[in-house]
Amino acid sequence: MEEGTFGEWLKRDGETIERGTALFVLEGEKSAQDIESLDRGILRIPPDGPRPGETVKVGQLLGYLVEAGERAPFETSTAPAGHLPVAVGDAGSAATPPAGPATRRMARELKVDLQRVPGSGPGGRVTPDDVNAWVPAVLVKRASERVTISPRARRLAGQLGVDWTSLRGSGRTGRIRERDVRSAAAANGPAAAQLSSSGHSPLQRVAGDLPGPWLSVTTMRKTIAARMAAGVHETAPVTITTRCDASNLVNLRQQFRQTACNDEPVPGYNDLIIKLLAGALVRHPQLTHQWHERGIYVPEGLHIAVAVDTDAGLLAPVLRDVDRLSLRDVAARMKHLAEQARSGSLSAADIQGGVFTISNLGMFGIEAFTPIINLPQSAILGVGAIVRDAAVVNDTVVPRDRLTLSLTFDHRVVDGAPAARFLQTLRQAIEAPGAALLQ
Amino acid sequence: MSSTLASVTAAVSRQTLLVLYRQMQLIRQCEEQLARAHQKGLIHGACHTYVGQEAIAVGVCAHLQTEDVVFSTHRGHGHALAKGVGPRELFAELFGRANGCSRGRGGSMHLFSPETGMMGTSGIVGPCILQAAGAGYSFKLLESDQVGVAFFGDGAANNGAFHEGLNMASIWNLPALFVCENNQFATEVPLSYSAGNPDVGSRAGAYGLPGVTVDGNDVVAVYAAAGEAIDRARHGRGATLLECRTYRTRAHAEGMGDFSYRTREEVEEWKRRCPIAALEARLVAEGIATPDELRQITAEIETLTADAQQFAEQSPLPDPATAAQHIYAAPRIGIRSVSAPPPGTREITYIKATHEALAEEMAANPKIFVMGEGIGKRGGNFNTTVGLYDLYGAVRMCDTPISERGFVGLGCGAAMTGTRPVIDFMFADFILDSVGEILNQIAKMQYMSSGRLKMPILLRGCIGIGHSAATHHSGNYYPLYAHIPGLRVVVPSNPFDAKGLMKHALRCDDPVMFLEPRELLNLKGPVPTEDYEIPFGQAAIVQPGTDVTVVAIGRMVPQVLAAAKQLTQPGISIELIDPRTVAPLDMESILASVAKTGRLLIVDECFAPFGIGAEIAAGIADCGFDELDAPIRRVNGLHTPTPYSPTLEAAVVPQIEHIVSAIKNLVDE
Ligand SMILES: Cc1ncc(C[n+]2csc(CCOP(=O)(O)OP(=O)(O)O)c2C)c(N)n1
Ligand SMILES: [Mg+2]
Repeated sequence: MEEGTFGEWLKRDGETIERGTALFVLEGEKSAQDIESLDRGILRIPPDGPRPGETVKVGQLLGYLVEAGERAPFETSTAPAGHLPVAVGDAGSAATPPAGPATRRMARELKVDLQRVPGSGPGGRVTPDDVNAWVPAVLVKRASERVTISPRARRLAGQLGVDWTSLRGSGRTGRIRERDVRSAAAANGPAAAQLSSSGHSPLQRVAGDLPGPWLSVTTMRKTIAARMAAGVHETAPVTITTRCDASNLVNLRQQFRQTACNDEPVPGYNDLIIKLLAGALVRHPQLTHQWHERGIYVPEGLHIAVAVDTDAGLLAPVLRDVDRLSLRDVAARMKHLAEQARSGSLSAADIQGGVFTISNLGMFGIEAFTPIINLPQSAILGVGAIVRDAAVVNDTVVPRDRLTLSLTFDHRVVDGAPAARFLQTLRQAIEAPGAALLQ
Repeated sequence: MSSTLASVTAAVSRQTLLVLYRQMQLIRQCEEQLARAHQKGLIHGACHTYVGQEAIAVGVCAHLQTEDVVFSTHRGHGHALAKGVGPRELFAELFGRANGCSRGRGGSMHLFSPETGMMGTSGIVGPCILQAAGAGYSFKLLESDQVGVAFFGDGAANNGAFHEGLNMASIWNLPALFVCENNQFATEVPLSYSAGNPDVGSRAGAYGLPGVTVDGNDVVAVYAAAGEAIDRARHGRGATLLECRTYRTRAHAEGMGDFSYRTREEVEEWKRRCPIAALEARLVAEGIATPDELRQITAEIETLTADAQQFAEQSPLPDPATAAQHIYAAPRIGIRSVSAPPPGTREITYIKATHEALAEEMAANPKIFVMGEGIGKRGGNFNTTVGLYDLYGAVRMCDTPISERGFVGLGCGAAMTGTRPVIDFMFADFILDSVGEILNQIAKMQYMSSGRLKMPILLRGCIGIGHSAATHHSGNYYPLYAHIPGLRVVVPSNPFDAKGLMKHALRCDDPVMFLEPRELLNLKGPVPTEDYEIPFGQAAIVQPGTDVTVVAIGRMVPQVLAAAKQLTQPGISIELIDPRTVAPLDMESILASVAKTGRLLIVDECFAPFGIGAEIAAGIADCGFDELDAPIRRVNGLHTPTPYSPTLEAAVVPQIEHIVSAIKNLVDE
């Protein structure tokens, strides 16, 4: 892992941290981890520290653990030169003068060195008025100009993906209100602004009146929720389906079973389809391309993520370089990965780097569905149940094993026709698996 | 005082004498066993025993049928047992068990067993006197031959309830018996000190009632005197005050010190005058019973008492999940509501609308009666009852003395015994004189009786500032009542709501505070002629809108409508919500509206601190925080008594311009 998404602080600025305390949430591709502190100390979060949702690199400085009484670097004389001179003092060289907590907080916010402020209180105690008198008026004003936003506007900003920290509020006191977020969203794109706040039922929110029970949401659940919502809202998803004649596939599997020896796993339908899918992706690499702000990204390696249902929720461990694996290898590795997923022992590396996802709901008798794209990937294949069905072959009705494939792809990256051609290739491979596996 | 022991055989049958003996033994042994259980920690709260006073409960209750009702006080174990509550149920209650007579909700001071006519003991000294009068009022209205009995101490004889209760029983000739158990102390305060006239029985004359004083340790004397009084009550000859002189020979309550206010010698002297020993001696001396027979009765009671203790100890504790059950009666189903008729249909005034509701319900339900000052022939200060006296007469349209506490307490007893009182206060300010009866008795009765008693009482009065009525005729006070579990609080703002809510109030089994803004009484509005009700807890959306939610109560509803007419600029579309009932409060409708508008203003003539606006704001901040696009604001009347002069008066009420500017500011926030 080289970078991750910063989830949230689990501790607040100023809290005392013991070794082993979970400090913050870091999200990888499909898992979120609580990162524990290896040391003890008082957590100090710098004002320009990472915000939830920001990408952070391995080794990036996120905050400080300081000793009691020690200042964090961001509050002392090493402050950048852009600060007003009052802020740059020879702090720490003499004992701090007496001052109450309110005065201290005020001094901190205004970046005032309390030692320079003459105290008018008993015993030279510095009062808030002293701080006010000392600080140039312009600075006091700036401190009071902290951006404020109404709860409703903040919620909407989250829904519309608007960064409100840079907005100007139209409220009497400069508060950012719903209308400000809406007009910002409209400027970003008309579709986003349409997302109406009436989309949820207000009555669901009468939490105090609902009898419950209420379930707490795990970090993993939150991550899944965010990723799934993003897969729907941030892509241009299209789902197409096709029906394959799976009779030959069924035959082939039958042969594997009959000739199986004890210590090797028999490849299942899913393994067969993963292998055939890899072949189709080699012929249609566009399905693995990814949409990024900078442009379309072409990832390395044919790594296929496979959705696995676990007690904790959906996981998608990644099978690497499937094009270079034998069918037996696919079966063996898949078995191992699924076991790890269910026992919760996947490493972060096991769930990263996928270029395409496959999800199979056939064991539940589901035939077709609309899988959700696993960002930043561009496509996901839904595999349905193999059902014995009446088929018309050469004008006669015969029983056949049939399998439906559902492909959701991101229309930003792939157009309908190439996506359809890819699905057609895969269908043909499934209908004639022997030849396809030979390639 | 008369002593009848000398003529025991002549006066009372052997069978009755043995019953009296047995009942006194039952009370004595239960009390002594309870005292032991208290020492063992099996009783969780207070325990006031009746030791030494047994003859009174037994002598009186020997004349009562199950249908007759008893109201008692903190020292009530003996009354409960004598009225027929089983010792098992009594012990289980004191042990806090689920099958105690009050299902574990009451303990020693709150014994309820309406099935046996034990209508409750009360931890408040006094109300039982009024409640017994109320039962008497019910029985008079229902024309039954039942009797209401109150047992109370000498301490209660100095309480206003005694004065008001006896007076009302006298003027209305109620079938009631007031038994004062004068044990000479109220806790540690002697009656000789606390009463200007410590001869309690003689005080009856001051109210025009017969007063009888007997030796309360002589069960036959009590039996004889009570028999006469109850017979008088049953036969329409009215109430009696019976003073029984006695002494409690244990401490005021178990575990309390006893000799800071009386001497050991005095207590020992009274122990020698034990009512049980006295009867025993006479029965043996006069050959009515042998010592063996009496010993056998004693032994039977010992078995009963031991069984009661064992039963209680083995009984389950109540399920904590039931702790908030029975605060209100179960809601009725099949309520017929209609939508508000459009303007242009029949229009009547607010006061006419409530009058219609009352008149229709009185015609349909003969158990409804109205009490108040001047509500009879005069038809009420605000014409609330005009014409009804001619239809229903003095019993159902009852003019009262100026005894607010008295007739509210009486109404409570009436509602407990099968009738439906409507108390018309004219001004709601006067309700305050009866707040103890409302909060401690009326509001709690359904809960304390675990839903076995209902409390169908309607308390109505005018509220609000105006007419230079000044500070004693302009109170609102509804947040006070809305704070209390067990009450319904209704504040209608228009004729349609007033009629529908009044109808619902007159059909529901909960106590309802029906508060009518005086300034709206002559307001006209469309009211259907067909039968309809408006259930409690359903707000009305008076005017739909999109930019600001305004919640207004009572008089402030038309005030906000007027403000809305002035606010016609775009971007200020007001959604006006009238909760109609402040308890229950329809938070869901308010929340749904705030989810739409993102802004909330609460306009209430009542004081802001601890008020309805604070309650609504807290609820929305809790459940609708993310809906808010601006702070929640309130417009309230000033936090001051109401002044008289018009300029001062106007300054304490929210005016239209205040509301207009509050809405504008909120939209700009
Ligand atoms: C209205 C009220 N005030 C005070 C008390 C506290 N209190 C409980 S019992 C009691 C004495 C009552 O004396 P009395 O009525 O003579 O009854 P006794 O205890 O003698 O049986 C007092 C003052 C109360 N329960 N209710
Ligand atoms: Mg007393």
